[in-house]
Amino acid sequence: MAEVRLDCLFEACPIPLIKTMQRLKVLNQGDVLIVETDHSCATKNITEWVGKQKLLCQVVEVSNGEWEIYIKKVR
Amino acid sequence: MKKVKIKKDQSAYFWFFSFFALILLFFFGITSPYLGVYWLFGILFGFVLQKSRFCFVAAFRDPIIAGSTSLFRAVLVAMAIMTVSFTLIQYNAIQGGAIAIPGRISPVGVHTIAGGFIFGIGMVIAGGCATGTLMRIGEGFLMQGIVLVGFLIGTLWGAWDYPWWERVFISKSPTVHLAQYFGWTGAVLFQLVLIAVLYYIAKKYDDQNNILL
Repeated sequence: MAEVRLDCLFEACPIPLIKTMQRLKVLNQGDVLIVETDHSCATKNITEWVGKQKLLCQVVEVSNGEWEIYIKKVR
Repeated sequence: MKKVKIKKDQSAYFWFFSFFALILLFFFGITSPYLGVYWLFGILFGFVLQKSRFCFVAAFRDPIIAGSTSLFRAVLVAMAIMTVSFTLIQYNAIQGGAIAIPGRISPVGVHTIAGGFIFGIGMVIAGGCATGTLMRIGEGFLMQGIVLVGFLIGTLWGAWDYPWWERVFISKSPTVHLAQYFGWTGAVLFQLVLIAVLYYIAKKYDDQNNILL
């Protein structure tokens, strides 16, 4: 049950999504990935993609224009 | 877990800029009624783009990298609405005795494909097309400021080279207006059926493709 942070600050689409894909692939089942981003569109396309993979995901706006996306690799 | 910082209250900025925009609307409106309408539509478009996260780049990029066509389908829906409403505007103008069909009807040819290809490469690298870039600058994503500088240079350069394209390709290409070939009803039906088919293919593609890098 590791918790991994992924720094995607100042990165534009599609880099946050691709980094998320690559990192999720090497994680074990049950791990939580926290993607930090300041790109509003990344919250949209990452949550959509994660939903399609049937993983759990939650977006928290930690500061003005800065988001953390919590993704649990349930399978 | 990182502690959630206390967010700044930004409503004061909102009211200040809304008031500023209203004053500008008034001044544009008394200068020329069209300017006021342009200003109002510009603000409303920006609002819709920001709230809906509508992104033309993602619409054409995400089907390939993530297998998701939700934004692509949104573009198709927008085109379907546009087809009907623009046909109504053009039809009414022609019935009202206008000589030229209103709207930007430009010649189509090799230059369309070349331009689309170059623009496509540029927008994926930059992470935003024209509307997306402007919307994200307004939102506060500063990286797009660099894109805006590039965008301005590119636009000026494009305007500089335009006469060459005009002479070599554009003047020789045909201008196609579907209503001349199928009639008004036929053109609308043809385009709507085409969009519906594309929508169906996009939905199937979305359901079948689950890309995991």
